[in-house]
Amino acid sequence: MLKDRIDILLGVLLLICAAAAVALLTGQGSQASQSNMAVDKALERDIAYQAKVSFLERLYAPVSELQQAEKLETALLKLDELSRHYPDEAHGELLRGEILLQMQAVPKAIEHLARAVRMSGDYVDQNSPLSRRSMINQLVDVQLPKLKAAATQQTTGRLQATLKDLYYLQGRLAGGCE
Amino acid sequence: MQFLRILLVGTLLLSLLACQQTGERPVMKIGYMNCNSEEETMKRFQPLTKYLSDQLNVDFQAIPVDTQDFPERFAAGEFEFTHTNSLVYVIMREEQQIELLATEMRGNYGSHTAGTIVSKKGSGIKTLEDIKGKRMIFGPQLAPSGYLAQYDLMLRSGIDPELDIAYYAIPTGSFKHEKVAYAVYFDQFDVAALPALDLELMTRDGKITAEDFNILGQSPIFPYCTFGARKDVDPELLKKFRQVLVDLSEAETVDYQGESLKVLASAWIDGFEALSDSDYDLLREMAKRANMPPYQEF
Repeated sequence: MLKDRIDILLGVLLLICAAAAVALLTGQGSQASQSNMAVDKALERDIAYQAKVSFLERLYAPVSELQQAEKLETALLKLDELSRHYPDEAHGELLRGEILLQMQAVPKAIEHLARAVRMSGDYVDQNSPLSRRSMINQLVDVQLPKLKAAATQQTTGRLQATLKDLYYLQGRLAGGCE
Repeated sequence: MQFLRILLVGTLLLSLLACQQTGERPVMKIGYMNCNSEEETMKRFQPLTKYLSDQLNVDFQAIPVDTQDFPERFAAGEFEFTHTNSLVYVIMREEQQIELLATEMRGNYGSHTAGTIVSKKGSGIKTLEDIKGKRMIFGPQLAPSGYLAQYDLMLRSGIDPELDIAYYAIPTGSFKHEKVAYAVYFDQFDVAALPALDLELMTRDGKITAEDFNILGQSPIFPYCTFGARKDVDPELLKKFRQVLVDLSEAETVDYQGESLKVLASAWIDGFEALSDSDYDLLREMAKRANMPPYQEF
C-alpha cells in the first residue's frame, strides 16, 4: 500500500490534518461548553441574589411593617427577636440603624449603619434592590458637619468612633476602598 | 572600717528601695447601686473594680448599696466613687455636687435609655387613653426608666397617675422589672411601666416575644447608669478614671480570682461614654414635672 517515500509522506500529512481537525472540533466544543457554563454561573449568581433579597424581605417584613406604622419600639423588639436566630446579620443591622435614626438615637444609628455597609456593599449600591444610598447620603451630609463641629469642642472616644464610622460611610458612598 | 561604711550605706539604700516597691496603694471605695441583689452586684462589678485598681494604682473596694440608701450613705462619706442610675446621679449632683465621670452603654440606645408603658396583646388596651381606670404596675420609685419616665409620660399625655388609673402598685424584692412584665403577661395587672432595656433583654433572651405586648408609649431617651465621684477627689485621678472607662474595649480582660475575665462582659456593659451634665437636663425636667427628688415639694 505504501509503495514509496512519497506515499509515506502523504500518509503522515493526512494523519496530521485529521488530528488537527479533531483538535479544532474538540476545542470549539469546549469553548461552547465553557460559555454555557459561564451563562449558568451568572444565572446561578443572579438567582441566588434574587433568592437572598426575597428571603430578607420576607424575613424582615414584620419589622418593615412596624417601621412603616411608626411602631418603632416594637420594630426594635422584633429585630431583637430575629437576632436570636440571625445574630449580626447585615440587613438586621441596617434596619436597626434606620429605626434608631428615626428615633433620633443618632450615634447608635451611625454605628449600626456602618456595620451593615461593612458587611454588605449592597446598601450603598444604587442598582441594588437593597440600596439605602440616598438615606445614607443624607445622613452623612447632615451629621458630618455637626459631629466635626462637636469634635472641636470636645473629643471623646465615642465621638471619634462615630466620626470614624461616618467617614467610612462617606468613603463607601464615594466608592473608596477600605 | 571602709567596708563597714559601704555595707551600711548599701543596706540603707536597699531598705529605701524596698519601701518604695512595697509602698501601699491608697484605698478608695466605689458604691455600686444594687439592681437585684448584693450578690449579683458584687459578681458583676468586682472584676471591673479590680481592673480600675490595676489601671489607676489605687485599691478600689466595691460596696453594694441599696438604691434608697444611696444619697444618704454617699453624704455620710462611705465611698468616694458612685455607680448609680441617672436619677440618683441627678439627686447627688444637686445635693452633693457630685462630679460626672462616664455613662454606661447598654442595649439599643447606647448611653441612653427610655421608659415604656405596655399592655398585653389582645387586652384591648391599645393607646395611652385606654389606661384610664385600669390597674397599673410600676418599677421601683427611684428607677428613671421604670417609674419616673412613665409617670412623666402619663402627665404629659393628660393622665394623672394619682387620679385617672384605678390602682397602681410597685413589686417588692429583686428582679422588679421582670416581675412588672410578668404581672401584665399573666393578667395580674392591665398596664405596666417597663424600661425599654428590659423589654429588649427579655426579648433577646427569649423570655417574651415582640408580639406579647402593645407598647402604648415610650419616653424620650435620656442617660443610663452613671459613674460619679466626690467633688474633693484629686481632679487628676478623676480625669484618669474617666479615661480608663471610656477607653475600655470589649476585648479588655482582667485577672480576677485565678481567671482571665472580659471586663465589660462580666459587668453586662457595652462600653462607656463621656457625657456632659447638661445631657441629664431632660431627666431633671421629668423629675420636676413628676414632683420627684431632688425637686420634690410638699
